[in-house]
Formats: sequence, C-alpha cells, structure tokens
Amino acid sequence: CVTPALSRRTATERMAVDQDWSSVYPTAAAFKPASVPLPIRMGYPVKRGVPPPKEGNLELIKIPNFLHLTPPAIKKHCAALKDFCTEWPSALDSDEKCEQHFPIEIETVDYVSAGTSIRNPKARVVTLRVKLSHLNLDDHAKKKLIKLVGERYCKDTDMLTITTDRCPLRRQNYDYSIHLLTVLYHESWKTEMWESEKTEEDMEEYIWENSCSQKNALDTLLRIKASENVSNVTKEELLASEVVKNYRNSVIALKNEGETENNMSQYKESVKKLLNIQALP
Amino acid sequence: MGARLTGSHVDTQEPKTNPLVSISDEPETLYKRLSLLVKGHDKAVLDSYEYFAVLAAEELGISVEKVYKPPKTIERLTLLKSVHIYKKHRVQYEMRTHYVCLELKYLTSSTAAVYLEYVQRNLPEGVAMEVKKTKIEKIPEHIREPVWDTLPQVEETEVKS
Repeated sequence: CVTPALSRRTATERMAVDQDWSSVYPTAAAFKPASVPLPIRMGYPVKRGVPPPKEGNLELIKIPNFLHLTPPAIKKHCAALKDFCTEWPSALDSDEKCEQHFPIEIETVDYVSAGTSIRNPKARVVTLRVKLSHLNLDDHAKKKLIKLVGERYCKDTDMLTITTDRCPLRRQNYDYSIHLLTVLYHESWKTEMWESEKTEEDMEEYIWENSCSQKNALDTLLRIKASENVSNVTKEELLASEVVKNYRNSVIALKNEGETENNMSQYKESVKKLLNIQALP
Repeated sequence: MGARLTGSHVDTQEPKTNPLVSISDEPETLYKRLSLLVKGHDKAVLDSYEYFAVLAAEELGISVEKVYKPPKTIERLTLLKSVHIYKKHRVQYEMRTHYVCLELKYLTSSTAAVYLEYVQRNLPEGVAMEVKKTKIEKIPEHIREPVWDTLPQVEETEVKS
C-alpha cells in the first residue's frame, strides 16, 4: 500500500523575514532545500521548460555554498576577531620608508590544498632580496660582490636576489640564505693577493687614467707642441687643461653609456677643440 | 540607563579586555605584502570567495592593494575512446583552472595570522590557495661592519692557488 504524501509545512514557511540567518547556517553545511527560503532553480532545463526546482536537486547539494558567510555574518566574525589583530606602525606608511628602515625582504610561499597530504615540497623555498646601497660596502667591495654573485644581481634596480632551496626545511633555508649574505659581505671586503693582477678586460667600467686613449691624446698634443716649438709643456699641465678634461669626459661617457646622439656630438666638439680644427661645414 | 548616583563607581573609561587575548613581548614580524592566489575549477565559487575575502580584509582594517583575475589555464588530454584498437576514435577531456589574485599591504604577523586562519578555514571544497608573504627585516648585526677590522692581526698564510 502507498502512504499518501504528507504535505508538511516546511521550516521555510515558518521563518520570519527579519530572522537571524547566521543561526540557521552558522557553519559550512550542505544545501538543505527545506531550510533555505529561496526559490532557486538549478540544472539543465528540460525541452521548452525551466531548470529543475530546488527539492531533491543534486546540483545544488554538490556545489559549495556560501550561505554561512553572508555579509552580516562576516561582519560579526570580524568584530570578534578584531581583538587579536595589531596595528601596522604608522611611521612606515610608504614603501620607501619601509625600505629605508628594513632593507632586507624575505619571500616565502605557503600552499593550501585538499588532498591526501597537506605537505607541499615547494614550500621550503626562501628568496632573500636586498639593495646593495643599504649594505656597508666600499667601491672595491661592491665590485667584488657583484663579480662573486654573477647573475643574481640586477643592475637596473640594484637588487641582489638569493634563492635557497637546498635544505629540507624553510627555517634551514632562511638561515642558509643569511649565512650566504654574511659570507659574501665579508669575502668582498677581503683583498686577495691575486686581485692585483686585474687586467683591463676585467674592469666593469672604463677608466681613462692609464689607458691607450690617454696615452694617444698626450702623445699627439706633445708632438703638436714640439712642432710649434713651444717650450716644454709637462704632462701634468696638459692633463689639467680644459680641452683634455673635456675629451676625457666625452670618451668616458661614450664607453660607459654607449653611443647616443648627445655623446657623439660631445665627442665631436671635444676632438675639434683638442686638435684646434675649425668647424667644418 | 539607570540614574547615576553620586558616589557610585562606574568604570566607563576602562575598555573591556578580552580574556582570550594574550600579549607577548617579542617584537612583531612585519609583512610588506601578502599575495593570495586562489585557484579553482568553478568561476562562480571563486567570485563568491573573492567577495568574502575582500570584505573580511576591509572589516579587519587591512588595506587591499589590488584584486585581479589572471587568465584561466586549460589542460587538455586526448585519450583513446575504446579499450582495445579503434585508434581513429578518441575522446578529449579538459581541466579548466580559474585564478583570483588578492594583494594585501602592510600587515603585522598577528593580523596576518588572524586573517589567513579565518580565510583558510572558510576555503570551499575544491579550491586551492597559494600565499606569498614578503617579510621585511633589518640588516643583521654581523653584516653591519666587516669582521676583518675587529679581528686581531693574524699572519697571512700563503693563498692556495
């Protein structure tokens, strides 16, 4: 025998309009059609029809719902959690100030996902970033550090980036990266005996003193003075003269910054002044 | 709202201290940026989650720098339709992963711990999260000055080539 379908007045009909919704769904729960007073339809519609209603709708039960996180519920939770939060120091309100007082940046990544295990092997990677201008380095130490570090230094932003993941734990990787920074810093201040054999190819930037350009320029000027039979002008006087200084600056700019319109025109002017040629049309 | 009688002690000035809050002496670590990348297969779920995370951050007083949606990635596989032979008939599956990225600025370690715990406990099923924390620190003591200045004069040994 078949029992007649009892038409039960569901909870939705007995709910008041201004009830406290966070007591109906205090935590994450499956969708209960009898407890949610909304006329929701979900699913693929039948031909020339509408999507199926909420009673006995598996699609609505499968999808995660946010009925326990309505805006008033979130505000209530945050009001209770606010006591545990602390204020950010108001003196550090811009990136530049943060960098000035706290120059080192440590980046770590945490991974949250559902699965058989909560561990993720990528979580042990630690990246340390620091600007070299904040470290106490002199000229020689800075150049040596950049040579030691190689690719990890970016010249445009003056940022040294050390990424460590050789240890199994994050704390160990962090300690190792600080150790690397300490070792690099102290080694760059040391001057080894073989560093005096640094040749011109090893230099990072062009230095005019003791270069072929200086020798050639002085040679040429001396020969010009000799042919004009002027009294012996010393090298120091030539070096200190305006034209030679101009020439020096333009050559240094050309070599270090590359060839730009400005640099080339400066070089042209300085050579003309040096060799006393009149302006060519 | 009772009448205040003269001589009665009403402590309206003292704030109510929460018995669950404990204050410790160690200095807070500061996080310059907290970057949350949320990944999921369903865009509607991620949209709702993004609304929840942004509202929670604002309620707790955390400044939200940027909220953006990186483009989705689709991983496709082509498999044989039948168990045995019929090489010309295949079936193709795809997995779509949608992303939402939330960037928060200037958090202390307690605020970050509170926010992350709240937001991670309410992470829906089937959604994964990656949190990138950028901590800022002062230069440690041993890097302020090179140690060679303070060590006693040691005779230099031959440098091994």
